[in-house]
Amino acid sequence: MASLRARTRQMGRDLTDWMEERTGIVSVMQKFLYEPVPKRGKWLYTLGSATLFLIALQFLTGILLLFYYVPTADDAWDSIYYIMNDAYFGQYIRGIHFWSANALIIVIGLHMMRTFLSGSYKAPREMNWVVGVFLILIVTILAFSGYALRWDQEGFWAWEVGAKIASYTPFIGGWAITTLLGGDTAGPATLSRVFALHVWLLPAALAPLIGIHLYLLRKHGEYGAPFEYAERLSELRKQRHLREYEEAEEEDEQE
Amino acid sequence: MPEELQKDPLSRGQFLWMGALGTFVGAALTIPPAVYILDPAIKSVLQGRSDVPEEWKELGSVFDVPAGEAVTQLVEFTQKQTYDAGQPSADRTGTNVRPLTNAVLVSWKDGKLPSVLEGRSEEEPLTQTERNKLGRKINIMANACAHMGCPTRWSENEKEIVCPCHGGIYDINGEHTGGPPPHGLWRYAFRISEEGDIFVKHQFHVKHEPKASKPYVV
Repeated sequence: MASLRARTRQMGRDLTDWMEERTGIVSVMQKFLYEPVPKRGKWLYTLGSATLFLIALQFLTGILLLFYYVPTADDAWDSIYYIMNDAYFGQYIRGIHFWSANALIIVIGLHMMRTFLSGSYKAPREMNWVVGVFLILIVTILAFSGYALRWDQEGFWAWEVGAKIASYTPFIGGWAITTLLGGDTAGPATLSRVFALHVWLLPAALAPLIGIHLYLLRKHGEYGAPFEYAERLSELRKQRHLREYEEAEEEDEQE
Repeated sequence: MPEELQKDPLSRGQFLWMGALGTFVGAALTIPPAVYILDPAIKSVLQGRSDVPEEWKELGSVFDVPAGEAVTQLVEFTQKQTYDAGQPSADRTGTNVRPLTNAVLVSWKDGKLPSVLEGRSEEEPLTQTERNKLGRKINIMANACAHMGCPTRWSENEKEIVCPCHGGIYDINGEHTGGPPPHGLWRYAFRISEEGDIFVKHQFHVKHEPKASKPYVV
């Protein structure tokens, strides 16, 4: 009869094997959790994960805010007042949503800068850069529309000004501003539109693009990783050696 | 397989610390959102707060309640929900306090006009004794069915209060006589003024059922 400890260990092993066999969870976790990053600038390679974390926070706290937010011109401001002053942990939840949104913009900027400076946008990773540009556009519009959802003087006028800027678009200015305002004046229809954008359309566009962004990252790996350097450098060295050898030969012939 | 994943073996102390830290972080992540979502339930159930402030609202006059039937009268309460923090300040106009209309079924006990009112003119003020007597004879009931809250009404043909949803039936006094409802109709807290006006409060009880919960839908 095996000891209790040995039996417990065996049971754990059996359970893990059982799950692995049916769902592949263990190997999937290993695949998702471990990704080699370059030795040089190692911490800078966490900025993408930080962005993902902050976006996840946005989704979670955003869902929670929807429990109290009322997307009508009459009630929007008051419902936020309620969240901030009366609902338990309301200030905390909205605080996380607000400040992590601010941090998100900064972290995305840093992430983009790291990608640019490390040359990670180069072949074969161009499409990941393109997807990233769409992501930053969406996040910017999300931040801007979130501002308007407060329906206070700041948010309201920010959206007005943004819509007004769009009105200067050549040829389609009139179409742009009336589409953004939901009419030729700002009113309840404007708020409905901003709400639809912020809560449904843009997050729905963001999620699959994040998926593609991650898929492409995993497909090509981080750029500049030592393994990649090693291969490329040895290739370069070989070519240089060859060249030098040829040059030396040529010199020999000329002599 | 698990051993392979576990790269560094843990000591017992480390394991316990990890458990303690995990409990703390887990609590910090789950309790605030849960309490946040449960905010209305906490305020209503634990703190006994209501969306409707405690105030008397005029319903109608006892002189307008006919014999032999239950009439529906409307009363407007004020309702303060999430959009109103409940403390209107100087810069907040309170325009978002909106009316909550309740339909109230009013009838005389067993449909019989009380002797106090027989041949009496509306000009003459009611005495305290008369008002007490009337209070015992009048039924002031929420029209919400005690079953699932659908709006009930007086059926002239059947001479009873009926619910259109699942066939709940009540007599003229709001007592349950048939169908699925667990008890009779909810009754409002009310008072009758000297002029014979009925005032109601957004507070409810059920006859013979001291533990009946709130009607919620009205």
